[in-house]
Amino acid sequence: MTDLRHYDVILSPSITEKSTMVSEHNQVVFNVAKDASKPEIKAAIEALFGVKVTAVNTLLRKGKTKRFRGFVGRQRDQKKAIVTLADGQTIDVSTGL
Amino acid sequence: MQVIETRSEGLKRELKVVIPAADMEARMVERLEDVKGKVRINGFRPGKVPFAHMKKMYGKSVMAELVNELVRDKPSEILSERGEKSATQPEIAMTEDEAQAEKILAAQADFEFTLNYEVIPSIELKDVSGISVTREVVEIDEKEVEEQILKIAENARTFEDKDGAAENGDRVTIDYLGKLDGEPFDGGKDEDAELVLGSNRFIPGFEEQLVGLKAGDEKVITVTFPADYPAANLAGKDATFDIKVKTVAAPGAVEINDELATKLGLESADKLREVVRGQIEGQFGQITRQKVKRQLLDQLDALYSFETPERLVDAEFENIWRQINTDLEQAGKTFADEDTTEEEARAEYRKLAERRVRLGLVLSEIGEKAEIQVSDEEMQRSLFEQLRQFPGQERQIIDYFQKTPGAAASLRAPIFEEKVVDHLLGQIKVTDKTVSKDELTAEDEADDKPKKKAGKKKAESEAAAPVEAAAEEAPAPKKRATKKKAAEDDAAAE
Repeated sequence: MTDLRHYDVILSPSITEKSTMVSEHNQVVFNVAKDASKPEIKAAIEALFGVKVTAVNTLLRKGKTKRFRGFVGRQRDQKKAIVTLADGQTIDVSTGL
Repeated sequence: MQVIETRSEGLKRELKVVIPAADMEARMVERLEDVKGKVRINGFRPGKVPFAHMKKMYGKSVMAELVNELVRDKPSEILSERGEKSATQPEIAMTEDEAQAEKILAAQADFEFTLNYEVIPSIELKDVSGISVTREVVEIDEKEVEEQILKIAENARTFEDKDGAAENGDRVTIDYLGKLDGEPFDGGKDEDAELVLGSNRFIPGFEEQLVGLKAGDEKVITVTFPADYPAANLAGKDATFDIKVKTVAAPGAVEINDELATKLGLESADKLREVVRGQIEGQFGQITRQKVKRQLLDQLDALYSFETPERLVDAEFENIWRQINTDLEQAGKTFADEDTTEEEARAEYRKLAERRVRLGLVLSEIGEKAEIQVSDEEMQRSLFEQLRQFPGQERQIIDYFQKTPGAAASLRAPIFEEKVVDHLLGQIKVTDKTVSKDELTAEDEADDKPKKKAGKKKAESEAAAPVEAAAEEAPAPKKRATKKKAAEDDAAAE
């Protein structure tokens, strides 16, 4: 059985205009846990989707400060991982796990 | 798109329609292109959603929509292409297999469905000038008018309170409480009930026992409910009624004069006579028309013979059959009582249904050729007539007619039929013949029997003919009755 921790690392695929653009370079974008490290993400993707990952780049998008009825609030931070797959391998992100 | 005829027997047709998957896909793509600029999906600016993503999200629902549309529009399109008219709504059958349906929605499999229908046979209109009918006209004599007026006058007569014993014809105002074995029963109680003695409105024996009572009297009477009384718990039972007489009133004299007329809202007695005469004429006019129509239809029936769509006949037969069965049930009879068996009756009514369908088709064809239209105004009028029959429920009825598409057609059909008959009457020979009232009504019965007897056993036809006459003419007498009642009400109200 795969490690259950993998499911906590990978939160969801990120399906956006930008993510569709990078998919041309054999890269897939995921929302990941904030405390996930690159090696963890690589292990999780390889285990869950059965593909070979050549590189993982991450970014931490800080939540915006929003006001609602005068009260200041802060949106959640979000970590994203741009995963580069080995040549010839694909992940169909829209079908889910 | 491919249309394959898989069956063509008589009037029945079965078509198989195949729409290739590629076609379906192309249609879907077209649809999606249409909405491309409008959809808003998180993560994308409007109009920038990649096509693959849109297809994944909306493909199925668009496809389902497409299938529905095709199934809705194609049948009529195909039929008009083939130049055929379906008698009923064509039956459409699609694949029942879940996986197959899934494939169709994914545009991986050809979309196929079958159409099952019966065509309306093309009718060649025949020359109707050979048809001749006799119109029987009744001269209304003065006596009848007087009689009718007398009836109205009796209804409108006045009562005056009097002292002394109640006689037959007097009106008493009473409180009564009915008891069965000493227990009051439902519906057996009333206060200030007005009852004209001798009018036989109450159960037999009730009114007779009130004769001789005076205002203020109290009496306990015993009466027996008749065995065929509608309320089962009371039928045939002995019941006692505690009666308290409040007033006794003697009737005023019945006279036909201007005073009576004014009371009914008309200027003079002559005017009243005129109105009543008009009513009677109207009643006979309807019988006359009914008979003329019957003659006309009989001859049309003889003139045309073609295969009738089975489904229409089936539907019509079901209607008749249900009607007959409920009638029999209400009368508490079986087919054996009517001297026939169920099978025989079935065959009998099947023939009747066929005749009706055939005549209906012929009439509609004639009407179409003659460009007979039913105007909105006429529809309105007939709607109001319906409304009049159900006072207090106007709202529901209007709703019903607006919401049920078939309902409007059911209003339209009789009007259309009448107009076609009018049209035909203009083209054929009509001879007038003056008859007496008795002749008019008597022959009505006699007319039916010989026609239905043709080629049938005696026992059957005797049982069937009156029922048939009743079924086919049911609307007319009913209307007559309501009309008459309405007319009387009108007169009284005025």
